[in-house]
Amino acid sequence: MAHACVSVRRARPLLGTFDEISVCGDDQSRIDRALDAAFDTVAKVHGLMSFHQADSDVGRLNREAATRPVSVHPWTFQVLQTALALHDRTAGLFDITIAPVLQDRGLLPRSRSDRGPGPRRIAMAETVALLADRRIRVRGGTTIDLGGIAKGFAVDRAADALKSHDIACGLVNAGGDLFAFGKHSHSVHIRDPRDPRRCLCRVDVAEEAMASTGIGFDPLRSVRTSGSAIIDPRSLQPVDRIIGATVRAASCMIADALTKIVMIDPTGASLLLDHHNASAMMVLADGEARVTPNWKGAASLAA
Amino acid sequence: MDWIRWTAPAVAVAATAAPAYAVQYLSVADAQKKAFPSATRFVDSGDGHAWKAQAGDKLLGLFVVDRVIGKHLYIDYAVALAPGGQVSRVEILEYRESYGGDVRSPSWLAQFVGKSNSSNLKIGADIRNISGATLSSLHVTEGVKRILAAYGSRVR
Repeated sequence: MAHACVSVRRARPLLGTFDEISVCGDDQSRIDRALDAAFDTVAKVHGLMSFHQADSDVGRLNREAATRPVSVHPWTFQVLQTALALHDRTAGLFDITIAPVLQDRGLLPRSRSDRGPGPRRIAMAETVALLADRRIRVRGGTTIDLGGIAKGFAVDRAADALKSHDIACGLVNAGGDLFAFGKHSHSVHIRDPRDPRRCLCRVDVAEEAMASTGIGFDPLRSVRTSGSAIIDPRSLQPVDRIIGATVRAASCMIADALTKIVMIDPTGASLLLDHHNASAMMVLADGEARVTPNWKGAASLAA
Repeated sequence: MDWIRWTAPAVAVAATAAPAYAVQYLSVADAQKKAFPSATRFVDSGDGHAWKAQAGDKLLGLFVVDRVIGKHLYIDYAVALAPGGQVSRVEILEYRESYGGDVRSPSWLAQFVGKSNSSNLKIGADIRNISGATLSSLHVTEGVKRILAAYGSRVR
């Protein structure tokens, strides 16, 4: 009997967005098992790293790690390690403790016990300590938010779950942060941050991750775009010079984090992009788009 | 590594307007089977969008289909409730998305009318995957809570 290759697409509401997984294979029951495992993996990362859930690792860290070391899941520890390394490499521009500023701007819920004075800024390396046995200590008054990196990590783990179920070709797309693996390339449209009704361009992704960040757009609230959710730790103000960034890298966790760094400091980010063999596209507030020289796709050099 | 100016090719500009699209992920029947693989029958509870999943006479859980508005258009989704009343699975059945004025035009909406489960509902030409500002699934999450409140006690 010939083995017909079937293509299956499913979506579930996870990570605060629509998590879509497409796979192809020749065995429907294997595909079903792989999809369930991949969605379960995303749900697990969500449960560990959600800022909003009190019983997540992040919730426990924010509640207890200032008074005693808190033990976290290996995945949470891995994400924190990566976040601290990026913090070091960017001289503090990538900062998972910027949450109080987001809370002040109404972008994250404020907990009842958290009604202190305005945010204080201390270097993150001094506020978050990774201890032996995956235990974490934080300085009092510190709030951790892995929103800038955990979604990419979840996408990576979901792709791993598919591969471990012998899926040879697939795409995991969590609200625009995605990872493609296998012999097929996947066509991805990048939304224009100035006008979400339009796409900026179409690129083909294969064996790589891609993540995008843009200024918040809420058509239900205003015709104009609302404030950015990316805060520059130097000024504590939302980024407004860059309105969108897309990064392609080998891992979605790195791509996800790098989009924030590009938004905050594109010049400084270029070294880091180089270090991670990543390429990027960004859109300036006046609509001008720029790419790194290694960006694959229809680049025009009209400098 | 320096940044270089990027200009969209003229052909790309013409081809990328209005990313309105729709995807059918699962039919109601397929979603039922996947949520309750051992069920032998699904008994309509009478309101047309909730079914008791049964293996013979044994109650396996409840399967509820609902619809919420996304950005502008409806999202159909299904919730499977376990016998304890807890959510065991939430699956998107059909997703439609569009920004902007074209949604209000009857001719645009007419594209969705009469589509069977097997129809290809992809509207925006070759748009399959979009990267960009994240779309919130908040309305689905709220819908799941409503379903729990309305149906959770029926499976306990």
